Amino acid sequence: ELFCVPRHYESDLDKVIIPHGLIMDRTERLARDIIRDMGGHHIVALCVLKGGYKFFADLLDYIKVLNHNSDKSVPLTVDFIRVKSYCWLTRSYTNLIIYLFSFFPLQNVLIVEDIVETGRTMQTLLSLLSECNPKMVKVVSLLVKRTPRSSGYRPDYIGFEVPDAFLVGYALDYNEYFRDLCHICILNDQAKEKYKV
Amino acid sequence: MASYLQIPDDEKGHDLELFCVPRHYESDLDKVIIPHGLIMDRTERLARDIIRDMGGHHIVALCVLKGGYKFFADLLDYIKVLNHNSDKSVPLTVDFIRVKSYCNDKSTNSVRVIGGDELSNLSGKNVLIVEDIVETGRTMQTLLSLLSECNPKMVKVVSLLVKRTPRSSGYRPDYIGFEVPDAFLVGYALDYNEYFRDLCHICILNDQAKEKYKV
Repeated sequence: ELFCVPRHYESDLDKVIIPHGLIMDRTERLARDIIRDMGGHHIVALCVLKGGYKFFADLLDYIKVLNHNSDKSVPLTVDFIRVKSYCWLTRSYTNLIIYLFSFFPLQNVLIVEDIVETGRTMQTLLSLLSECNPKMVKVVSLLVKRTPRSSGYRPDYIGFEVPDAFLVGYALDYNEYFRDLCHICILNDQAKEKYKV
Repeated sequence: MASYLQIPDDEKGHDLELFCVPRHYESDLDKVIIPHGLIMDRTERLARDIIRDMGGHHIVALCVLKGGYKFFADLLDYIKVLNHNSDKSVPLTVDFIRVKSYCNDKSTNSVRVIGGDELSNLSGKNVLIVEDIVETGRTMQTLLSLLSECNPKMVKVVSLLVKRTPRSSGYRPDYIGFEVPDAFLVGYALDYNEYFRDLCHICILNDQAKEKYKV
């Protein structure tokens, strides 16, 4: 009750764990750290679709504000990739389908992700990119889950480290619902059933 | 007939000194023709019109990359606010496609759609195509005929800008932000060789700058 949450979701959520304003403040700082390390050179910002687009747009807005105030014109390329990973019963593997890959001068590449869980998708993507010999590749993820299933991989820039719970809101939808929820919240069990496909 | 805010050909625009424009672009731009705040206000209204016609049902918002992503993000934020205040939970699917158009020797257009989920998923849904700018209109017309084969319930197109140009095929989107002159525009969603992304107003690029930032 301490925040504005859409009325139609009130019975579906347990708690607000990261309010929208806090997400924006943290993102603003991530942008500053990124510019400190990568700014002044042509950055290629690679958005991992589909979940990543909201965080990508907000992060890039902050990056653009910082560029806005710099002395010189810095080119900023945006590009998009789609990553699909499959988990099978006996083994899990990451199958990378790279859509929308255009050729860009691989200099400073910033991969923008919404959440890292096992880390395996990101590790596979990074080894694929390294074959193109970029000058620098960094990964920013809004969320990193604390989970035993983690491979140990940690992004270069992390917004929040979160518990291994069922999260929705901001960048995280559940079967296309909860896009209109701007805070990150924990979904309760009844709701998992209610919005099941 | 879609309503739109017309920016006339003889639009004088606003002097750069009246707005915040990155210092490093000051010598590159002629005028601010659509300030960022105006873009946002118009987008807010487009969202309302879209929800009036399509809301209450599962909308699939299809973003045409790459130019479209900025306008897509802002438009969807306004759409989400309207959903936020509705009585029921409405699913909202987002998807992203890249459209490449070719003209073959017979000058018939074909369009290749790259990315996105299975187009067959669009069947029975309300599809909203989100584009940054429509110039000749031919890409959009070809995309629309491709999508109609998937039997969506409804397909509508929203474009932030429509250019007034003799090269136009006559195609008009269902929702239009602004109708603009046939000039070289940068800013907001429109980059020039990856520059001008940090410019939030839509401005006219001068000739020296076209050379300066050439690939």
